[in-house]
Amino acid sequence: MMKLLRHKLFGPTVLAVLLFFAPLIISTYSVMILSEILIMGLMAISFNLLLGYTGLLSFGQGAFFGLGAYCAALMLQAGYQNLFLILLVGMLASLLASLVVGFFSVRLDEIFFAMITLGFGMLFFSIAHNWLDVTGGSDGLPVFVLPSLSLLGNEITFYEPTRMYYLVFGIVLLGLVLLWLIVHSPFGLILKAMRENKQRVSFVGGNVRLLRIVAFAISGAFTGLAGVLFCLFNSMATPEFMHWSFSAKPVIMSIIGGTGVFLGPLFGAGIFFVLEQIIIQYTENWMLFLGIVLVPIVLFFPQGVFGTLRNKIFKQGVK
Amino acid sequence: MTDVLRIENLGHSYGKFKVIEDISLSISKGEMSALIGPNGAGKTTFYNAISGHFPPTRGKVFLNGENITGFAAHRVVDKGMCRSFQITNIFAALTVLENVISPLIIQQRKHFKIYGNVFKDKQIIERAMLVLEQIGIADRADQVVANLAYGDKRLVEMAIVLARDPSVVLLDEPTAGMNPEETENMIKLIKKLANNSGTTFFITEHDMKVVFSLAEKIYVLHQGHLLAQGSPGEIRSNEHVKEAYLGRKVHA
Ligand SMILES: Nc1ncnc2c1ncn2[C@@H]1O[C@H](COP(=O)(O)OP(=O)(O)O)[C@@H](O)[C@H]1O
Ligand SMILES: [Mg+2]
Repeated sequence: MMKLLRHKLFGPTVLAVLLFFAPLIISTYSVMILSEILIMGLMAISFNLLLGYTGLLSFGQGAFFGLGAYCAALMLQAGYQNLFLILLVGMLASLLASLVVGFFSVRLDEIFFAMITLGFGMLFFSIAHNWLDVTGGSDGLPVFVLPSLSLLGNEITFYEPTRMYYLVFGIVLLGLVLLWLIVHSPFGLILKAMRENKQRVSFVGGNVRLLRIVAFAISGAFTGLAGVLFCLFNSMATPEFMHWSFSAKPVIMSIIGGTGVFLGPLFGAGIFFVLEQIIIQYTENWMLFLGIVLVPIVLFFPQGVFGTLRNKIFKQGVK
Repeated sequence: MTDVLRIENLGHSYGKFKVIEDISLSISKGEMSALIGPNGAGKTTFYNAISGHFPPTRGKVFLNGENITGFAAHRVVDKGMCRSFQITNIFAALTVLENVISPLIIQQRKHFKIYGNVFKDKQIIERAMLVLEQIGIADRADQVVANLAYGDKRLVEMAIVLARDPSVVLLDEPTAGMNPEETENMIKLIKKLANNSGTTFFITEHDMKVVFSLAEKIYVLHQGHLLAQGSPGEIRSNEHVKEAYLGRKVHA
């Protein structure tokens, strides 16, 4: 029994089952919050491929999230209705953009890397904000018609929140499975090795710059996927997605949840939104209280809430 | 031409400060060589300049006949030369096994492979375990390196360096910071490895006992210049060396 509990896929499987049946129990409003948690969780886990696994703190992930969202909005406005085409194009656009940003950024480390990615993020934000004809400026791009899916001869639409939830759930699950495979691949081990000691990686023959560019591009692509989903969920792409304060969200979520565990950032996203829901009932100043909550978490949960609790329960050391 | 490593007129300056100058040497296959000199003589600078840490200011480096001067570190390794560092340079939060697997993944060009479980890659795991057995730390394969004793961490770095089966291995003060027992074990290990593999070892040391018990050929570095080279016997009786460096220590 203990062996089953300790199996590394046990927890994730239970979680997936719970998430699958959640809409049967919780309110429609909560289903929508849960959709948002899943989307932001995908973004945060993609981000954590860089922070937790590769040791790179990117402060510009909003750019790729927004790019995915704008791609989806533009395609839908132009009349493209194929869901998978939209997901694919959004991902590809973010992949290409992050290749370019990565090319210029990954030679830097730590604060300098954070600053250059922040700079690129602001550049993307300015473009989205100012290029009125294409992006709709600060109003953003609304989406009126959502793509549908034909399954076994039935046309499934996603206007109803619970259906949207299952679309999000399915795509996020797929994204997380792919990211999980990447993290546990030979490439994933080399990422951890770079996090530990990038000099050692080059002195055993690894091209650190190239490896980092690839990591950055993979992270960007999945961030873009999250952005596409958010555009569908939100029926809107806005420049706010590319704002640096949006780029800070996956950072905060990862730190709350824990950067050392694969699902940590997803839990961080959950805690983030639940806290938000609780706090905004009492005050509009939710950011102030987020700050107040963040400080003890950083101080007392060095591996994030989820990471620290898991280590306490299973007595697992650093991974 | 059987020289695995040949250095021609190598020099390096940090800004205007000339640290090493006009170093030429050639090492033939299997010849255990050592570069000695007091702290600050420029041994580490020399290693850094030939291993791709930074390009040398002057001179050339040939590995197995190929000019590798100024190659980036990862390309030097691909060409067959791998090194250790004076300050232990390992993957602290990874296990011993993962530390050795990493170079093997790269050697087999699987470092961009984004699927598959490397721990089920028989070829890699078998090679990794073989290296760990040679080094004598196979029993600690699953331990996180950060939790190991200092001497064992140095051994992990040896395993990392040897994993890819390089033609030349540079060891920068392999016994630095070790107690006498660990030092003796390290000497034994290097001797064993040098005899059992096709790898040519080139070490730096400031500890004379270590050098004379190990090396077949000794290069003496003094204030950035090569003062003398030869067998341990020749070095012991070399007047310049005695005067400049060994004198006090040999008779002390
Ligand atoms: N990165 C550096 N920048 C400037 N000076 C350096 C640097 N590294 C070493 N030095 C100087 O170069 C000289 C040789 O140092 P080093 O190569 O480390 O000698 P050794 O390894 O023989 O002890 C020393 O005087 C040292 O202070
Ligand atoms: Mg030194």
